[in-house]
Amino acid sequence: MHAFAEWLQTTPVSVTIQSVTWVIPLLQSIHILMIGVVFISILMIALRVLGRVRADETFSAVWRRFAPWMWCGLVVMAVTGLTLIVGEPIREFTALSFWLKMGLIVAAVTCTIVFARTVKPADGAADPEFSLATKSAVVAALVVWTAIIFLGRAIAYDAAVWGSLSPSA
Amino acid sequence: MNIVATIAQTLETSAVGEWMRTSLKAMPVIEAIHVLTAAVVFGTILIVDLRLLGVPSTRRAVTRIHEELVRFTWAAFGVSVVTGLLMFAPNATTYFRNTAFALKMLSLLAAGVNMAIFEGRTFRSVTAWDRDVPAPPAARVAGALSILIWAAVIFFARWIGFTKGYDFAVPDDVDLNFAFPPQ
Repeated sequence: MHAFAEWLQTTPVSVTIQSVTWVIPLLQSIHILMIGVVFISILMIALRVLGRVRADETFSAVWRRFAPWMWCGLVVMAVTGLTLIVGEPIREFTALSFWLKMGLIVAAVTCTIVFARTVKPADGAADPEFSLATKSAVVAALVVWTAIIFLGRAIAYDAAVWGSLSPSA
Repeated sequence: MNIVATIAQTLETSAVGEWMRTSLKAMPVIEAIHVLTAAVVFGTILIVDLRLLGVPSTRRAVTRIHEELVRFTWAAFGVSVVTGLLMFAPNATTYFRNTAFALKMLSLLAAGVNMAIFEGRTFRSVTAWDRDVPAPPAARVAGALSILIWAAVIFFARWIGFTKGYDFAVPDDVDLNFAFPPQ
């Protein structure tokens, strides 16, 4: 993996991303703006399941309002994230925080797809009675997305955060 | 300006400043909380701004959306200020002279002025355009400006990290010595 990272870092695309000074800060800024879009969309859907916001609207209406923003935000995050990886592959691949973050993203996105297929009612359908399991699942989703945000920032401090567990230590 | 410089100096030499400088784990945790709260501030404000622009529709009352989200915005903003001060403290006198930091503060000020004009003047007539009709031009301009200004706040904030407080780019592998006189 390290050899792949070293090769990737010498490719023309990677060299361009590294050498143009505003590219990485701009990509990271877009990435953070999208965290705002995605996290708030998930927060609104989760709070609706818990009955804390938009109780006057059906769940399907709330899902229709926020799910497209969540999915589009995730796509933009994937594009900016992949470009950042191409720009700084060694920094990413040698960070434990990066691999934990990727693992949690795969788990969270998979669970969201399962949630969308099983819990989301048909448009205009009456609200389902959310079970304790569903309510626990949305709280867990918020915890996992918060952890993903923490791990994203921890990549820059991997050795300080994880000590000898960090491959870069 | 001297007062601000004195405050920066006091923050930098304070016990909190010293703790943030020397603790290995404090900075990543505080930074992550700052990113999380910035995301909540931007995300909640974006929902209100988009509603002012009629996106996705004008069906839901502006007052209702505002009332529902404003507590999240202010709570997150409060935590952002505290974590921001904690990040500022260890190298306060350097950040104080940093262009990206100054531009971020100016953007925050612009966001505050835009909000004050909107809340103080435009929002007073909200009953006339609360739902089912487009918001007046002043409200739409305030919404569009707010999105742009908050995006600028986040961009300049991220830019500060690439200057490490100094007014020039510092490569990741270079560890600058902030102590004066140099040790």
